[in-house]
Amino acid sequence: MPQETPSPIDLPEPERDESGLGWAFGVILIASLFLLFANAASLRDWIDDQPPSPAQARAAELADQWVGITEAFGIGLPRKTMHAQWKRAEQARFPGQKTEGAEGSLAQ
Amino acid sequence: MLFPTLSFGLFFLVVFTIVWAANGSNEWRKILLLVASWVFYGAWDWRFVALLIGSALLNWGAAELIWYQRDSPAGRRRAIMIAGIAGNLLILGFFKYYGFFVEQLGDLLRGFGYARDLPLMQVVLPVGISFFTFQGMSYLADVHAERLAPARLLDVTLLMSFFPHLVAGPIVRGSDLLPQFEESPRLTRDMAAIGLVLIVWGLFKKAVVASELSTGLVDPVFFDPAAHSRIDLLAAAYGYAVQIYCDFSAYSDMAIGIAALLGYRFPLNFNQPYRAASLQDFWRRWHISLSSWLRDYLYIGALGGSRKGFARQCLNLMVTMLLGGTWHGAKWTFVIWGGLHGGVLAIERIWDRIRPRGLPRLPRLLGILITFHVVLVGWIFFRAESFDAAIAFLRGIGRAGPASMVLTPLACLLILFGMVIHFTPADLGQRLALWLRLFPAWALGLLVGVTILIVDVMRFEGVAPFIYYQF
Repeated sequence: MPQETPSPIDLPEPERDESGLGWAFGVILIASLFLLFANAASLRDWIDDQPPSPAQARAAELADQWVGITEAFGIGLPRKTMHAQWKRAEQARFPGQKTEGAEGSLAQ
Repeated sequence: MLFPTLSFGLFFLVVFTIVWAANGSNEWRKILLLVASWVFYGAWDWRFVALLIGSALLNWGAAELIWYQRDSPAGRRRAIMIAGIAGNLLILGFFKYYGFFVEQLGDLLRGFGYARDLPLMQVVLPVGISFFTFQGMSYLADVHAERLAPARLLDVTLLMSFFPHLVAGPIVRGSDLLPQFEESPRLTRDMAAIGLVLIVWGLFKKAVVASELSTGLVDPVFFDPAAHSRIDLLAAAYGYAVQIYCDFSAYSDMAIGIAALLGYRFPLNFNQPYRAASLQDFWRRWHISLSSWLRDYLYIGALGGSRKGFARQCLNLMVTMLLGGTWHGAKWTFVIWGGLHGGVLAIERIWDRIRPRGLPRLPRLLGILITFHVVLVGWIFFRAESFDAAIAFLRGIGRAGPASMVLTPLACLLILFGMVIHFTPADLGQRLALWLRLFPAWALGLLVGVTILIVDVMRFEGVAPFIYYQF
């Protein structure tokens, strides 16, 4: 691409003259493994959403077992804790504020 | 297949591994990328892959003909280019505007007392059609102007099908991407570091900011403006401005980051648009690949830009923005949105001409505030289902109503966040990448994993499609 066309991938300092392929593979591999352990529930949910088939049923069974193992070791705990905090932030309201649901129940 | 989903994540892991494993042969690499792109596009509807291939064949063939006739009279080459562009417009027109025009024609005939049963059809809109047809047209115009030599069929097909930009841009021109296809790319640490920064940043903007604002505030208020208070309406208008920026720029960031991890350089598409001090400045910062396309090929290339006098220049601006609005879809609200932008752009030009010399220029901050609010009014028309709904929304802002029910402290915080990021240093992401490139792979891998985990726990259940998928 002509250098006069700006791109966000151009860094403001000279490029380091080394291949980044192995490094990028390493980063992606470590990140994927980390998520496989710490975010096992997302993998299970994703498998549950796939079209039903014998393979999907088997994968769902394995994913359930995997979630069980990570929870037994407490690896899934940070995810659960952070998710609960986020849900609390979503449900927070200004003092005295009515919600749409509350308004609906008043009308009934 | 949406970027911020596990399906896409697994797809990308496979593509990344296979494509770099095949890097010894650039031809095989491109063939693999092409097949991956078709699998990506086919995940929506396999039938549209045939349309994509047909569109690539049309543009490749027309470009070859233009080049073959390069010693012939200019009129013949121009006729081939126009025929090629007409072919692209026919594809776009049929899928995107057929229903709208038949409906308008029916209304018009009824108005004149000639009610007729017109051949209405339910035409399914192929995802990203506006992006790849515009790419095809600019390729033909570039070959015609000899800014670009025609490329091989494989390269043209990959140019139009390449999955990172395929469904929602940026509109990467042939002159930007085709030269990169000529040899096997090299992945540097810099590219990998900034690619990862852009992907994770885009993931956060889409999955957390845009999705939360959309589901919690914007959608319910725009669905029924009459049932909401003035504060909710105002918050939804500001919320939508932040949502559409975080949604669309997130897609661009992820597309640019994914392309970078595959070794390709995509152009900048957003540059903190809400810090623009004029509408002209806004269009240099918002959807840059579309605005520069419209400028180069329509405003200057087809309409003549400012070459035919000042009045014609203003008219050209208006026509360009009206067509830019229509590019988004067959709805009157998009036409009004384009007209508003075109009108204000023309007024800015006129004011520049008639402004008394001694009059000081607007302070920059005031310019930013005025520009942002012009853009905000435009977004109300852009988001509303109909013209009447947009007017009802604007009227609602003017009337007193019940207390706010949907605006939450979290939504306020996200709107504020969406505005504040416009006033941070423009190269913050690049500076971060410079720092991250020094990390060992295991440390950065953990950091990326932790960040994705945090985004995942904050995301709304499920991911809504990107706003620009419908265009």
